[in-house]
Formats: sequence, C-alpha cells, structure tokens
Amino acid sequence: MLPITPRGFKDVLPGEARWREAIVSATRATLSLWGYAPIETPTLEVLEVLEQGGELTSTPFRLFDTDNELLVLRPDVTLQVARMSASRLSREDLPLRLRYVERIYREEEGLKALSRQVTQIGIEAIGLAGAEADAEVVLLAAEVLGAAGLTNFTLALGTVGVLRELLALCEASGAVDHEWSRAMLRAFHAGNLVAINQLASAPSLAPRYAEVLRALPLINGKAEALARVDKLVAPLGIRDGLEQLRATWAIIEACGLAAQVTVDFSVVSAYDYYTGLVLEAYAPGLGKALGNGGRYDRMLEGFGISAPAAGFALSLETIMQALLNEDALQNRDAPGLVPAQPELRLVHIEDDDPAAAFIEAARLRAEGQAAVLGTGTGGQA
Amino acid sequence: MMDAAPLKIAVPKGSLYADSVRLLTRAGLDTAGLEQPGRQLMVAAEGYRFFIVRPTDVPVFTALGGVDCAICGYDSLAEQGLELVELVDLSFGACRFVVAEPEDARNSAEATYQRRGVMRVATKYPAITQSYYDRIGVQVEVVKLHGNVELAPLSGLAERIVDITATGATLRENRLVVVDEVLASTARFVGNTASVRTDPRIRALAGSLAALVS
Repeated sequence: MLPITPRGFKDVLPGEARWREAIVSATRATLSLWGYAPIETPTLEVLEVLEQGGELTSTPFRLFDTDNELLVLRPDVTLQVARMSASRLSREDLPLRLRYVERIYREEEGLKALSRQVTQIGIEAIGLAGAEADAEVVLLAAEVLGAAGLTNFTLALGTVGVLRELLALCEASGAVDHEWSRAMLRAFHAGNLVAINQLASAPSLAPRYAEVLRALPLINGKAEALARVDKLVAPLGIRDGLEQLRATWAIIEACGLAAQVTVDFSVVSAYDYYTGLVLEAYAPGLGKALGNGGRYDRMLEGFGISAPAAGFALSLETIMQALLNEDALQNRDAPGLVPAQPELRLVHIEDDDPAAAFIEAARLRAEGQAAVLGTGTGGQA
Repeated sequence: MMDAAPLKIAVPKGSLYADSVRLLTRAGLDTAGLEQPGRQLMVAAEGYRFFIVRPTDVPVFTALGGVDCAICGYDSLAEQGLELVELVDLSFGACRFVVAEPEDARNSAEATYQRRGVMRVATKYPAITQSYYDRIGVQVEVVKLHGNVELAPLSGLAERIVDITATGATLRENRLVVVDEVLASTARFVGNTASVRTDPRIRALAGSLAALVS
C-alpha cells in the first residue's frame, strides 16, 4: 500500500509548521492582552451529549468505543466549551473569557477533495451579554486577523432575531405553516435568493411580510443599512436584536473599525444555535469565510446552566491562504510573520572526548545561539 | 481596496453562452471580447475579467473563489450542492429533468422493479437522480455516464434514464418517452458568499440583471 494520509488530511512539514506556529503565537498574544485564558478540549465527544447544546451539521467521523458509546471527532469547539463551562464551572466563575487553538473535523458537501481537518483559533465569552460584549467579540476578531498579518478583510454582521421574529409573525398570521418557515430559514442559510423569492410568493402571505422577506437579504452597508432595516421592520413591530446591533455598531464605529465592518442581513449562520449577533469574516479571492461567530445565549441551557455567551472561530488554514493571496496581490515576497530559519551552529563531536561537544553546545545555547551536534561524517546537520 | 481588482465573472460555454453574453451586454457590461473569443478562455474588459468555463465546472470555480460570480444552469448547481449564493433566476436556458424509458418497453421497468426490488437508472446527474428516487421511495442503482445517456436503455445497460431535455427532440429520436418530471432548470446568476458580501459590484450587477429579466 502507498504510504498516503487519509483523504482530507495532511502532514505539516517544517516550512509550513514554522509559519503556523508564528501566526498562532501572535494571535495568542493578542487574545491574552484582552484577558482570554487558554483551554483545551477533548478530541472525542459523546455525540448524544454534544447534541444537547445544538444541532451538529457535519460529523464525518463517528466511532464506537469499547464502552459502546457513540463518539464523534469534534466538529465544533463552541459546543464543547458550552458543555465544559456548564459542567465544570460554577456561576461564581462568570464571566469567563476563554481562548483555544484546536483542530476540528468537518466535511463540506460536494467538495470531497478539500481538507477534512481545520485548525480553529477561537474565543468564547461566557456570562457576558449586551452590545458591549458583542462589540468585544467583533473588535477582537478584527484584532486577531490583524495579528495574523491580514490587512484586507471584512467582517459582516447581522442578527438572527429579525428573521426569526419575522418568520414567527408570518406563521402567526396563519398564511403559512412551520414547514414553510423552515424552508425559508434554509433558503436564508443557503443564500438562495431565488428560493426566498419563490417562498415569499406563497399565495396567502400578506404582501407586507413578503416585501420584507425579499428586501432583507439584499441589505448590506454601514450605519445606513441598519436604518434601512429599521424602516423596513419597525411597522411590523419587530425590534428583536436591532437595538443591540445598533449599539454594537456605535462602539465599533467609535473604535475606528467601521471601514472593515459591514452590516449584512443575508448573514444567517448555518448553525441553529445562534440567538443574536452573527458574524462572518471574509478576505478577497477565497470564496468562503475565514471564520464566523456570534451570540448563543441558550446553548448552555442545554447543558444545565443558564448564561449568555458569544464567540468566534477563525480557520488558521484559510487565514494562511488569505495571506498568500495578499502577498500575490501586493507583490510581497512573504508575509511578515514567516520567521527566519534560525542560524544553526554545528558543533563537531570528537571521538576521544564526545562530552566536550555537548558542553560547548550548551554554552552556545545559553547565549541564545542555536547549536546542533554532529560527528562531521554526514547525516547530521 | 477590495474593489480595485477587476470583477471575475464565469460565463458558461455551450448552450447557455449566447444568451449569457447577450444579457451581460444588456446589463451594460463591455462584452465585445466575448463575441468571438476564438480559443481564448479568459477575456479582459475594463473593470471585468470573463472566464469561459465548462457549465459543470462553474459551481466549483465560483465556490472556491476562482471567480467572484457567474452565470450557471440550475442543473449544475443542484447536482453539485456547493455553498453558493443564488442571486437571480435569469429565466433563460429553461430545460426539464425527466425520467424516460423506451417506448417499446413501457412499464417493463416497473415490472422488473416488482420482481427485483431495484431499478437501474443511467444519468449524467447522479446526485439529482438519487435525491429524486430517495424522495419517491424507489430503490435504484444509479449508473453515472458522461454523455449519450439515451444509449443506456437502448442497449439494456439500464431500464430508465434521468436526463435534461429542452424540447424532447433527442428523446423522441431515440424512441424514449417521458415517465416523470424530476425538476425544472433555468440559468441563475450566482456568487460565492465572500464576494457577494464584500463586493458591492455583484449586488449592483444582480440588481441590473433582475430588472432585465423581470
């Protein structure tokens, strides 16, 4: 058999590993400055336990252990952190600011050739609510991308509250059923404007609802986009989430980040656990998001304690691809974060006194000089 | 800064090509280079870069960011199920996915299914075919072919086919009759999520296209 890795998995050799390490340590430093503490989560989880927090979209790797538990390779860290916070920590510990770098395992439908392993750099802010907490998540996501070396990225913000309330109103009007609502939500998730238009044409649906459903996913912009949404949904009495998003935007704008953030009401995350803010990060030429996040105030309830929570997760591999795209666009040789290979001093081991070389190498290293031992007869470098 | 680069648009070669170019022209794009591209697969215009792509490859070009947006048949979108933003139904390029079987062997597929419990179906679109049969609860063996699917029932390779038809002429010529409708397809204007959410030019183009086809 050929010595291959499983489909969608790869080895990381020193050239890439150094770069990964540099990006991860730069982002860690930023997160630490914001007061986020490191955590690690298990690679495997009991599927039934994890599902208490929310629906899992893709779990390509499932296995039974000898206890006959159905386990999954973690497809998502957020659910794990919710489980961890609910089971290991008490209310007095709140608020918690946690950060992690973990590999997750996913499969994208239709793209079988792509990686099934993603390294996520993420945070969870547990026990923090309100626009200030939402703004912290957004500003921190921007700082982390900046720390990784990216200059050209956009954060798109939305809130799931508006659409949820609108769909509830449509159902309450008796014109459409829950099945229709689910189809509409799926169309928003998929970014399928054609399907949204078709569903909005349901014969008995009041035109004032249909009009808002058609207009909502097209709204994209800065503060004026918020005003447009407000004008659109205020007559229907929808307020959920909008006030908080406006207050969040005000903080972001005051912090000078408005240029890199847009409000976009087509952002409805693929995960059903979000309850307020939703956030997606984009860089040019990638097609897909660098990462995403948002607020999930009810997830911990599934695990037995009630606490608001928000966070984001960014893909290290996608960030690296975005950095390479930036290099190509700006004719840059290599991103600033690629560490130079340390200059190595070779210390020869003499046959009559091998220990001397070790002592000499130790002295060099104590001075900060990287040193390797060699017999001088090849093989060592 | 993001807007400085030319907008990359994939145009499907083949049956949707002429209508796609016509519509882009009416939307105000400089498509002169697309009229007679010859062997050239990439055509540059002021502010745009057009890529002439095989129809079935358009979704992957778009989803992975090779291009920002594209015109693509719904058939290719449905078959590949990639994460894309479907912006406008362009109405042209209408065709239907149908199930067909040989005229002189009507109902023999049904009879075989009763006995064998599984039906063999040939198609260029295995995902659409499988999801159709899953929906109606019929067990099938889907055989993927790359073209001339009509040959499968004629040769005995499969009992039925699932294929695209615009006028039904090819089916008639091969003495095949339509048994059921699977889905209807038209051309769509699509973009990848990142480009749609970060590049206002795509929304603007979607707006002009929607106004032209409505």
